[in-house]
Amino acid sequence: MSSAAAVDTEADLVCELDSVRGIVDALCSVRWKRFQDALLELSQHGIVIIVEETGCLQAKVYLQRELFIKYDYAATGRPRFGVSLGLFIDCLNTFSVLGRSNVLELRYPGPDMQLMLRSVDSPDACIYAEIRTIIPETISWDYNFEPAGSTPLSFTVKSAALKEAIDDLEWPGSSIQISLQPSPPSVIFRGEGHGDLQIDFNYYVNTDLLIAFSCDRQVSHRYKYKFLRATTSNIPASVLKDNRGSKATIGRGGMLKIQHLVSVAKPSVPHPHIDSAGYQQPSRIAYIEFFVKPEVEEKNGCV
Amino acid sequence: MEFSVSGTALKTFARSITCLARIGNELVLQSSSSQLCLHTLNSSRSAYQSITFKPDFFDVFSVSGSQVQCSVLLKAICSVLRTPVASIDHLTVQLADSDASKVQWALDCSNVLSKCRSGRSGRPGRLGQDHHLPNMGGSIEIQGRRWVGWVAWARMKKTYWITCNIEPDIQHLSLDRRKLPSSFVVRPRDLNRLLANFQSTLQEITMISTQQSVLPVDATDQIGGKAVEFRSYIDPTKENDSSLHTQLWIDPAEEFVQYTHTRDPVDVTFGVRELKAFLSFCEGCEVDIHLYFDKAGEPILMAPKFGVDDGSFSNFDATLVLATMLVSQLSGGNSSEPAAATAAQQGTKGNTTEHPSDHTRIWSELSGSAVRYGNAAHDPLVPGERNQNTNEQTTIQRIGAMNISRDKNADGVPVNGKELIGSPLYNNGRAPSHHHPSNWIDADEDDDEGDDSELCVQSTPPYS
Repeated sequence: MSSAAAVDTEADLVCELDSVRGIVDALCSVRWKRFQDALLELSQHGIVIIVEETGCLQAKVYLQRELFIKYDYAATGRPRFGVSLGLFIDCLNTFSVLGRSNVLELRYPGPDMQLMLRSVDSPDACIYAEIRTIIPETISWDYNFEPAGSTPLSFTVKSAALKEAIDDLEWPGSSIQISLQPSPPSVIFRGEGHGDLQIDFNYYVNTDLLIAFSCDRQVSHRYKYKFLRATTSNIPASVLKDNRGSKATIGRGGMLKIQHLVSVAKPSVPHPHIDSAGYQQPSRIAYIEFFVKPEVEEKNGCV
Repeated sequence: MEFSVSGTALKTFARSITCLARIGNELVLQSSSSQLCLHTLNSSRSAYQSITFKPDFFDVFSVSGSQVQCSVLLKAICSVLRTPVASIDHLTVQLADSDASKVQWALDCSNVLSKCRSGRSGRPGRLGQDHHLPNMGGSIEIQGRRWVGWVAWARMKKTYWITCNIEPDIQHLSLDRRKLPSSFVVRPRDLNRLLANFQSTLQEITMISTQQSVLPVDATDQIGGKAVEFRSYIDPTKENDSSLHTQLWIDPAEEFVQYTHTRDPVDVTFGVRELKAFLSFCEGCEVDIHLYFDKAGEPILMAPKFGVDDGSFSNFDATLVLATMLVSQLSGGNSSEPAAATAAQQGTKGNTTEHPSDHTRIWSELSGSAVRYGNAAHDPLVPGERNQNTNEQTTIQRIGAMNISRDKNADGVPVNGKELIGSPLYNNGRAPSHHHPSNWIDADEDDDEGDDSELCVQSTPPYS
């Protein structure tokens, strides 16, 4: 290895994080297939990981720089590179030892454009890893989510309830229709296969707090079940336990955006201002976004 | 038909579905103004379960017309009840009429939303123009702190439309439990404990029932009061048999709440899987199991034994009827074998009798010919083989002598399945008989099943 000083001046990014477990949870939530390639994009604001099912489904994980103990960004542009998602997660897992706090250093690029990982907190041992990266051949399909109109079409639901609803909707064995209607304010999921199942979320209007249901006209779109399923199948247990909400928005053309929040807190960190379970500073949260294209009737739609 | 159920009744209803699903594949719902009946018959036609609910079991119960019925796959109902019962406010079932193509099952679930707490607002970061930080929806102030997050309230309702089976095979069986002369009542956990001694994969079990000794248990007397034996039934045609064989002798006075058997020893062999399903059901409902039986070849009937105080449980009832093997384990496998010499037999046979327990009466052997004693016109189905341990000889003969005068003409026992006419499950006499004119077990159909036909109820051989 070259001397630390020389490497630092060459690296686009050197960052340290202390909650590997949380990062792993966040990355696992966008894993819906065994073999997936992820695109990492580095910027001064943080790291974004993008995973895609060609033309049908895209997921993004935002790790803002505030999540890291140290974040030294020295690149001029926005370096992008590809890694195998499974390999990246497995590698991170080897660095996270239960019951011990572990600080992990990520460095890019290495001498051969690889992603380098290193444990930095242990005085008598060192774990070191390199992951080969690939030049992304294609720019990731820009899902370019645009609002459907002047009023956003969105609803928020407990992550656990959304997951439960989507799990139940496997039974009909068909594509799923999602409808929003303003009056009475409700969201309807419907599948019609060898049996029919309809799940209604009926919203109350409460003026004291934020209303997480926004809809000014009736809309309805169909989505392939397996892609809808991918948005909730690997939600980390911590999200379900913490009672977090997930937000769904329907954009122009029926594109569905689903957002989750995953806690990336260091375990058992005492905080003087904790007054309720599940409290987290916003900077200790990773944001997950899924974009699902609606089912198209024509032949050139998603397979 | 429409009914709605919630709370504890919903738990019982869900438990009923779970039990029915362990017995058969198709569920028949039959609704009249006086009750709702759910029943199922397994594919080998050796197990029939019926659970009936009175109208006051439900929050809402209405039937248009005299009777409405439909048949659905139990697997579909189990999919409906995948939702944890604790989160269901109420379940509503609607069926327009008996010809409807679908039956609607709707679950109203409790408030599913909550606040999404994200703590104090920080400066929303921007990861570049292409990747906006997701809009958190604004911020509000609560108790002097600014909270950033999404907040919502909603109720979730799940509505399933399940396809009804076209031309369902609706068979209804009613067996009058009063016609089964012997019975016992046991606590589910006690029976579970006894069954735990057997290999968990055991398919059939034999219960050998003898009359409890009327004599007090004498410490010097080596015979204990173990009047009941449970034995694992192993199919003799299976050659490569490495399963665990178990024999368990119990004292009904200790293990059962109640035990009634005042005739010659009998044995019944029936399926364990169905027994365990019913056991779980009764355990969940916190009631004892009442098991009625006659002898090999006659069906056994199980029902929950509601205690005197269980007034709240009287609005539902359940019955499980299991066919038993024709072949009695006590007669050595051939009921028409002529009586062997009545002289005392010497020696013992079979592994289990090589080291007989000093404190039990062993009524059976794994092999050997039948021994007849007492009346020459002894019923061939009643076992006569005995372990000739000299210590037990006198006791056995004593019991034999007591049983000689037993009336062999079992009036209540039907000759064939067609006579399984029963009064309804509730002993109030007002409910109509559910006797189905056709035999619920058609002997001709089972001829193709070969050895498997042993499990089906067939005609009882005529008595001599």
